[in-house]
Amino acid sequence: MSSAPSPDAGSSVPAVEMHGISKRFGDVVAVDGVDLQIGDGEFFALLGPSGCGKTTTLRMIAGLDIPSEGRLAIFGEEVASWPPDRRPVNTVFQAYALFPHMTVAQNIAFGLQMRGIRGPDADRQVAEATALVQLEGMEHRRPSQLSGGQQQRVALARALVNHPKVLLLDEPLGALDLKLRQEMQVELKALQREVGITFVFVTHDQEEALAMSDRVGVMSEGRLLQVGTPAEVYEHPANRFVADFIGRTNLLEGVTEGPAAVRLDAGAVVAAANELAVGSPAALSVRPEQVRLHRRSEAPAGAPCLDGVITDATYLGHAFVYTVAIGPTAGASGTHAGERAATITARSETGSAALAAGEPVSVSWSPEATTVVAD
Amino acid sequence: MPSLRRAKPAAAQSTDAGPDTPPLLTPAELAAQRRKRRTGTLIATPGALYLLIFFVVPLGLITVYSFATRTSTGRTSLSGWNLNSYERIADDVILGIIARSAWLAFLTTVLCLVVAYPFAYYLATRPPRLRARLLVLVMIPFWTNGLVRIFAIRFLLGSNGPASALSEAMGFGTFRILFTPTAVVLGMVYGFLTFMVLPLYVALERMDWRLVEAARDLYASGAKAFWRVTVPLTRSGIVAGCVLVFVPSFGSYVVPEILGGAKTLLIGSYVARQFQAARNWPLGAALSVLVIVAMLVAVAINQRNSANAERTQGVTR
Repeated sequence: MSSAPSPDAGSSVPAVEMHGISKRFGDVVAVDGVDLQIGDGEFFALLGPSGCGKTTTLRMIAGLDIPSEGRLAIFGEEVASWPPDRRPVNTVFQAYALFPHMTVAQNIAFGLQMRGIRGPDADRQVAEATALVQLEGMEHRRPSQLSGGQQQRVALARALVNHPKVLLLDEPLGALDLKLRQEMQVELKALQREVGITFVFVTHDQEEALAMSDRVGVMSEGRLLQVGTPAEVYEHPANRFVADFIGRTNLLEGVTEGPAAVRLDAGAVVAAANELAVGSPAALSVRPEQVRLHRRSEAPAGAPCLDGVITDATYLGHAFVYTVAIGPTAGASGTHAGERAATITARSETGSAALAAGEPVSVSWSPEATTVVAD
Repeated sequence: MPSLRRAKPAAAQSTDAGPDTPPLLTPAELAAQRRKRRTGTLIATPGALYLLIFFVVPLGLITVYSFATRTSTGRTSLSGWNLNSYERIADDVILGIIARSAWLAFLTTVLCLVVAYPFAYYLATRPPRLRARLLVLVMIPFWTNGLVRIFAIRFLLGSNGPASALSEAMGFGTFRILFTPTAVVLGMVYGFLTFMVLPLYVALERMDWRLVEAARDLYASGAKAFWRVTVPLTRSGIVAGCVLVFVPSFGSYVVPEILGGAKTLLIGSYVARQFQAARNWPLGAALSVLVIVAMLVAVAINQRNSANAERTQGVTR
């Protein structure tokens, strides 16, 4: 998977550059041939389910794991075999890993001390970092006396005080409750703009990744499947996994019938641009919010239209989510042998007239709103 | 009583919630509490009786004897209570023995720490299944008769023993360390090493290694991360191990008797001599009291230390 160029990647040396990076633990391949460029000043999210290799990738950038294979450069310097203390990167660890036997100020000063910065200069930098994360007045507390959100800020300050060239964040918001997490998302984003440091952010939360990052890399089973802006990844997923993992989607199984059409297993041939060989199995990804529902009699002519029956309607406050059964069992006209039933999830604003379960409907979408994905 | 005391603040809190809350505990709750307390007393009784008869009473007797008088025939007269025995401790000979005992105990403790820390570190960083097996190996000497083990060492260190023979074969000549303080320290290190390994192992096993990674990420070399993070976080194990080794080394009797010479008279042997050959029970008792007090101080240090450790734990996990 080639990475899309970032805004800065062309103009300067990339902050992080990986070529064919793999990591094996015994027989287990944790990371499998990752190629990736992260631009200077970028907010980059590595996204994937647990066990997909995203944390291992981050740890290799930090130097906590050494790659089994491949090249790894930080601002042009080949660092793959360097120990962590030589690398110009710092990490905000999952669960923070604050030193329990040190105060907040001592935690923050640790990196400076280790680099031989002491005295008034160190004090000033610690004070700046403390102010940056709004922890003034907490300097003499122990980590155990702080709330989760405050501990998170200490972890940030402890890393940022060293002015790393790249800041690595391993699920930094995972331990916070929902409301605090959302606040910290906004704050972290603002902080990144303020300090201008490249952030590499590992998360399994796709909403978090989309909301915060300039670009997202989606990983699964050790492989980097797609890299792109949140919009690119959401609207044009590279394969079935990405389509399914990022947001909710309907995956309608079928076979390609040419560069512009797919024959769905549920019947009907629909227009859908694709670059696959004719006759290859593929799935059509349609986001629920792109699906339009019509009463059967009001179906628009021309647009791809599938007949179905509403099997479930869920009220969410701001929207309805409908499940529509399409294909042979739904009693749609003109079905053929071998066609299989499918369900489509549709989402509509609450303002529109509510439809009830059992109602026969037609579903449609604009061809541009769909992506054809293979495995 | 403790269960009742614990219940009270909770009840007080509930009355804070509203002034009209009904009384603290219902009769059913009180009955349940009484039953619980009765069960607690019942199961603790045999142990408490045993300790009372075989520990508290002799300890009391020793304390009483330390204030008694030694008659000219060597009998102890339980009258004319005085502090003469304690005053005799200030004698140069006895102070010398105490100083030597403390010094050898100190050396033993330091050696044990230096030997046990890397070993416990190794143990604690193995995969869990291997850990369990290695721990059993550590415990095996414990299940062997101590006296036999010390006599084995005596044979090992003797001038005709294997160690000396090996040294001679390698061209260093025979050596004589049996019946010297060196032999006593070696024997005590061997005898008490387990007491150092186990608390260190426990502390290192509980260690959150992610903190070491964090230190490495913050520009600490491996050595600096060890001194600044691993050592402070295993302090409770270090202190516990040192106390557990120092205390028995200081009062040690068997090892110096077997491996030490006439010149390495330690307080344990000296006390034994007072009760046996010298027939001076009050002096022996007074010295025992001194050793016990020293031990209590050490235990108090250990207690405070583990309380501190408790406070810094429950941390960022």
